[in-house]
Amino acid sequence: MATVASHSASSSVSAKGWFAQRHTNRVQEIFAGYLFVLPAALSLFVFLVAPILAAFVLVFMRYDVLSPPEYVGLHNLSQLFADARLREIYWNTLRFVVFATLFNNLLGILLAMGVNRTMHAAVKYLLRTALFFPVLTTTASLALVWNFLLTQDRGVINFLLQQIGLDPVPWLSSSSWAMVSVVLFDVWRACGFLMVIYLAGLQAIPESLYEAASIDGANQLQRMRYITLPLLSPTAFFALIVSLIGAAQVFDNVWVLTGGGPADATRLIVLYIYEIGFKRFEMGYAAAVSLTLFLILIGLTLFQFRMSRRWVHYD
Amino acid sequence: MATSSLQTSTQQTQSAPFQPKLLLRLGELLIWIFLVGMALVEFAPISWIFATSLRNPSESFNLPPDFWPTSFRWDNYLAVIQSPQINFLLFFWNSLKIALLATLAQLLTCSMAGFSFARLRYPGRDTLFFVFLSSLMVPATVIMIPTFILIRSINLLDSHWALILPATTSAFGVFLLRQAFMGLPSELTDAARIDGANYWRIYWQIALPLVGPALSALGIFTFLAAWNNFLGPVLYLRSWDNYTFPIAIVMLNGYMGSGNRAHVLAAVMISIFPVLLFFLLAQRFVIRGIAVTGLKG
Repeated sequence: MATVASHSASSSVSAKGWFAQRHTNRVQEIFAGYLFVLPAALSLFVFLVAPILAAFVLVFMRYDVLSPPEYVGLHNLSQLFADARLREIYWNTLRFVVFATLFNNLLGILLAMGVNRTMHAAVKYLLRTALFFPVLTTTASLALVWNFLLTQDRGVINFLLQQIGLDPVPWLSSSSWAMVSVVLFDVWRACGFLMVIYLAGLQAIPESLYEAASIDGANQLQRMRYITLPLLSPTAFFALIVSLIGAAQVFDNVWVLTGGGPADATRLIVLYIYEIGFKRFEMGYAAAVSLTLFLILIGLTLFQFRMSRRWVHYD
Repeated sequence: MATSSLQTSTQQTQSAPFQPKLLLRLGELLIWIFLVGMALVEFAPISWIFATSLRNPSESFNLPPDFWPTSFRWDNYLAVIQSPQINFLLFFWNSLKIALLATLAQLLTCSMAGFSFARLRYPGRDTLFFVFLSSLMVPATVIMIPTFILIRSINLLDSHWALILPATTSAFGVFLLRQAFMGLPSELTDAARIDGANYWRIYWQIALPLVGPALSALGIFTFLAAWNNFLGPVLYLRSWDNYTFPIAIVMLNGYMGSGNRAHVLAAVMISIFPVLLFFLLAQRFVIRGIAVTGLKG
């Protein structure tokens, strides 16, 4: 033991310069590490972490922006349970999220599989461009356009329906059809984005797997079941989470297309939070409603992660 | 579903010797009807916008609708651009300025933080990275109330900084760039370090040029998100001169839409052109960008 200790001591003396150099290197690295992360961390703390913390304080306040905030205890939280409109609006949001997510992903997968087929490069390019186009265009302008298209009396869609002998539909003025219109618009606008996500997933599946399966005599159905679907499942998992969280936060669609109406038929949760905060100036209650959305979204994400163990295959 | 599994680029004729030819042909036909039908449904409204924007304004409500231009009133576009009350070029410039500044800021902050998390060792690094990761779960709309109060208290209401500053970083971007830097061989940076390069030089001259795909993906997403942002301008902007394109178009509709749909649609087309041009030139990058954004982790 003693010899080992003395040996290492003597070697450290002989390498003193090396250690000093090591030391300044290490200090420089730590210093650089903090400096490099500083801008992002600063921005994140000011515009994300601080607002989250503030939200938890705001929940206990009455604050109308003009007069100073006033502590009201659990008032805002108990209001959550008394608010009948909130229940209706969450029910709207739930229906919207379920149908929009479902159809967006379904169409996304089918379109991706279609576009991923062997075809002339120019045809592929045209198809992809047409299908992806609405994704690139400002949602608010498109919602405006669909408002024109869906108008009951002089709208283009109803005109086309009448041409093929169907009755005009009160797309935006009937409370049952308005939600259908909002979902249709969202699927029209966003399914191209899901297509591109699934396309990326499909193209990441190695061609050799299909070749091997073909040689082994697997038919198309079997290749689909045992290669495409399992290997696409991580993509589907990602796409489901992204599209679900996106759908729960939809704002401009309904703002422009229906304004939340008729009555509250298409009012979704973010539009309601906006109304509470900026029309009624009840910042505390708006923060409380935001927190419920936050908890629901986190809960859903965690739930999907748990469920994903059953159906997502990572290679 | 079964028919769509034809998607592989292996030779289909060889792979299905015992399937009836006719059924295969029928499936093929159905797939094409689906694809072309969807493409038409997705594109028809866009071509309707274009056709109607070129109509005589007094006829813009008339039915039947046009899906390809029948008249060519290009002066509708001129009227929108030169409209005395509404300075459209200004809105365009506002949107462009905000989107470009937000994109540049995000590319810089996210790549620096990503480099730091991936390539440098220092105390507290993993805790900090965990904070970034968990903030991925917080949707922006959830914090709009406190953020509004913050923006108001630092006197940024009705200023473009209210839209730029909160967009100067994103947890998603940091994560994306960290993964990209992790993928680089460590010998590369070690060698540069031994040669005496400081960390800024390693980051700027060696590492950054090698993560181009991740950078372009982040840039495209950030730019599109900022360009299309609607909730932000609704919350923060008050005066006409500060409006961005999306909100200006919606306001323009309230202003003149009831009488003049052609002008509103011309404005919509003006907002589409630059994005279309960009996509036609960069389709490959957009699609590869989405592929790069991890999906594969």
